[in-house]
Amino acid sequence: MAAAAIHAGGGLADHIHPEPQGFVRKYVFSIDHKIIGIQYMITAFLFMILGGMLAELIRVQLMKASGGLMTPETYNEVYSVHGSTMVWLVIIPLLTGGFGNLIFPVQIGARDVAFPWLNMLSFWLFPPAGLMLYASFLMGAPTAGWTEYPPMSLQGGAGTSMWAAAIFLIGVSSTMTGINFLVTILKMRAPGMTFTRMPLFVWGQFVTAPLLMIATTALGAALAALFVQRQFGVAFFDPTRGGSPLLWQHMFWFYSHPAVYIMILPAFGMISEILPTFSRKPIFGYKMIAFSSCAIAILGFMVWAHHMFTSGLAPALQLPFMVLTMLIAIPTGVKIFSWVTTLWGGVIHMTTSMMFAIGFLATFTLGGITGVFLAAVPFDLHAHGTYFIVAHLHYVLVGGSLMGILAGLFYWYPKMSGRLMNETLGKWAFWLFFIGFNGTFLPMHWLGMWGQPRRVAMYDPQFQAWNQVASYFSFVMTAALILVLVNALWSMRNGKRSGPNPWNARTLEWQIPSPMPYYNFKHVPSVFAAPYDFAEPLPYRGLEEELDGAPPPVPAAH
Amino acid sequence: MAVASVTQRGYGGLAEEPDQLYVETRELRIQGFLLFMVSDLVLFSSFIFAYLYLRNSGQGWPAGGPKLDIALAAVNSIVLFGSGATMHFALENWKHGSFSKFANWIVMTIILGAGFLSGQVLEYIHIGARWSSGIFGASFYTLTGMHGLHVFAGIIYLTVLLLQAAQGKYTFTKYTGLTLGTLYWHFVDVIWVVLFSIFYLL
Repeated sequence: MAAAAIHAGGGLADHIHPEPQGFVRKYVFSIDHKIIGIQYMITAFLFMILGGMLAELIRVQLMKASGGLMTPETYNEVYSVHGSTMVWLVIIPLLTGGFGNLIFPVQIGARDVAFPWLNMLSFWLFPPAGLMLYASFLMGAPTAGWTEYPPMSLQGGAGTSMWAAAIFLIGVSSTMTGINFLVTILKMRAPGMTFTRMPLFVWGQFVTAPLLMIATTALGAALAALFVQRQFGVAFFDPTRGGSPLLWQHMFWFYSHPAVYIMILPAFGMISEILPTFSRKPIFGYKMIAFSSCAIAILGFMVWAHHMFTSGLAPALQLPFMVLTMLIAIPTGVKIFSWVTTLWGGVIHMTTSMMFAIGFLATFTLGGITGVFLAAVPFDLHAHGTYFIVAHLHYVLVGGSLMGILAGLFYWYPKMSGRLMNETLGKWAFWLFFIGFNGTFLPMHWLGMWGQPRRVAMYDPQFQAWNQVASYFSFVMTAALILVLVNALWSMRNGKRSGPNPWNARTLEWQIPSPMPYYNFKHVPSVFAAPYDFAEPLPYRGLEEELDGAPPPVPAAH
Repeated sequence: MAVASVTQRGYGGLAEEPDQLYVETRELRIQGFLLFMVSDLVLFSSFIFAYLYLRNSGQGWPAGGPKLDIALAAVNSIVLFGSGATMHFALENWKHGSFSKFANWIVMTIILGAGFLSGQVLEYIHIGARWSSGIFGASFYTLTGMHGLHVFAGIIYLTVLLLQAAQGKYTFTKYTGLTLGTLYWHFVDVIWVVLFSIFYLL
């Protein structure tokens, strides 16, 4: 009871609900943030398999200049649903609902998120929305890409309306997640966990949450407008009745540009955890990394029109949007340099997780640099409709977000299962993935510069050789992802037991057993410093009894 | 005040506070609700942006739509703002421990809210345009309709709160639910100020 005396009790600090019994309450309609996080991950990986199959359909189609696998109409459906899946059903849920839910409440020393029931509701909107998106194939799937620009999205089958409804649901789910996470971080940090002592993954979630909350609602408005236009003939985007197709682009990108940062800021946070742990060295520039995330999030709301340089934006607006977009390279560069400096002189442990993290640094930097190219109006006018864009966005989303996710998967897997993933298989997967990924998307840079248009089912025969290269390497990348999946499934039963802290890491989630117990902490710990100073003793007090296997305190009456 | 220290402290401590759990949960709920209203505000802002964008797309205004009757809308607005005042009195009377006065004022609020909705239906009939008729219909009916739905939801919300209060769910010291309901009702009022300005005064 000594610890209870230190953390003078009552309130949420000592408020532990008993663990629910029964399969349904424990694993299906669970309100435990860790179970919900795992549910998110499993669902998102299932959708990733579907989206990956669509991606391979695209690559098979493009092996021949004349196409041949699908009609152009079907091809349009395939790449539209591929993009929508990967953005809304894979990357965002994995980074926020998945890893966010699983890890950040523990890292701030909380027992759960602020609104556990809302969290459950957020998750349970997600699988139905995904199924709705795939059901749209039955009624003519969307054909205008994941961005669904009118007037094209106003034509075609009911699938596009279905798409709008599905993404709207996902949006509601994201908004609720954002509110939940923000309140949790603002109000439920353990005593002493000040903002400048929060782990950087928490900073990533903290900056992402308002983006989820604000940007996604704006997207919801755009989707609702598209839906009522298609179903009830309301003239928002129809130029023949006074509406404006450009309005959609403004409304859509006002969400979707911040969404780009929703898809990368949590990954930045993961990298900021993994690099210091495996370099055995404090993170370089903690505050700069944290504040540059804020800068990115704020600037992210001011640059949406750089997606519209070729859509007829007034020249007077092009210049400010170009400059603001280029400004984002500064905080991003601050991060990259901080990470590289963290590695400098460190004792580097080349685990699979670390390899993915270093791979992230390389490929994300490349993607970021082409982003600066595309911010320049003259270059964008040249490259906007080409494969250069495809190369750029896959370098940041696959080479950035997905690499971060894989690094995080290998890093935090023990916290879910109590076992380590297989390192040998993992390293094979990394090299296959890294080679396959670069082989697939690097040629797209010059294919784009030579003028191969994106989103077209057939192309000029002169591009065929490099397209075949891309396709073959994409099979390698897929093999790597299958290997990761097999590894994760195999390790669930057969992996080496990890113990609470296999990496000797310093954030709070590693100071409690693996897998994490229902109540996270028997006693909410006190925090005395940021978690990155590897030379010092752990900056926590009140964790003494966590690992001794004693039963949790008696649940408080409610 | 305890509330402020809870904000800074995160949680833990405050052992002398008997209802600490209530205080902390109240903090979470209020903050969550405020953030919900922020995201709701973004929803309205998006459509307001759409309206202003379409309005200034160079076709003159009202493009294919009728002139709006400002007198009817002004009366209607006064009804809604009045309901904001009555809601304020309801909560104040609750704080001062009078259930009957609270009930009277909240019933008055609900009646005024319903009055506002009826006024809006009257106006829709009076205007006679359709949702699908051009960008006037698109922006006017979408925005005022969304607001009307919020008022409708608010009426149901307040009714539920009244019933809960009658059943004794709230005490005169613990009434977070009532505070949130009041916040919501004022929020809907404020949205109407903006909508009235941009549709009738602009």
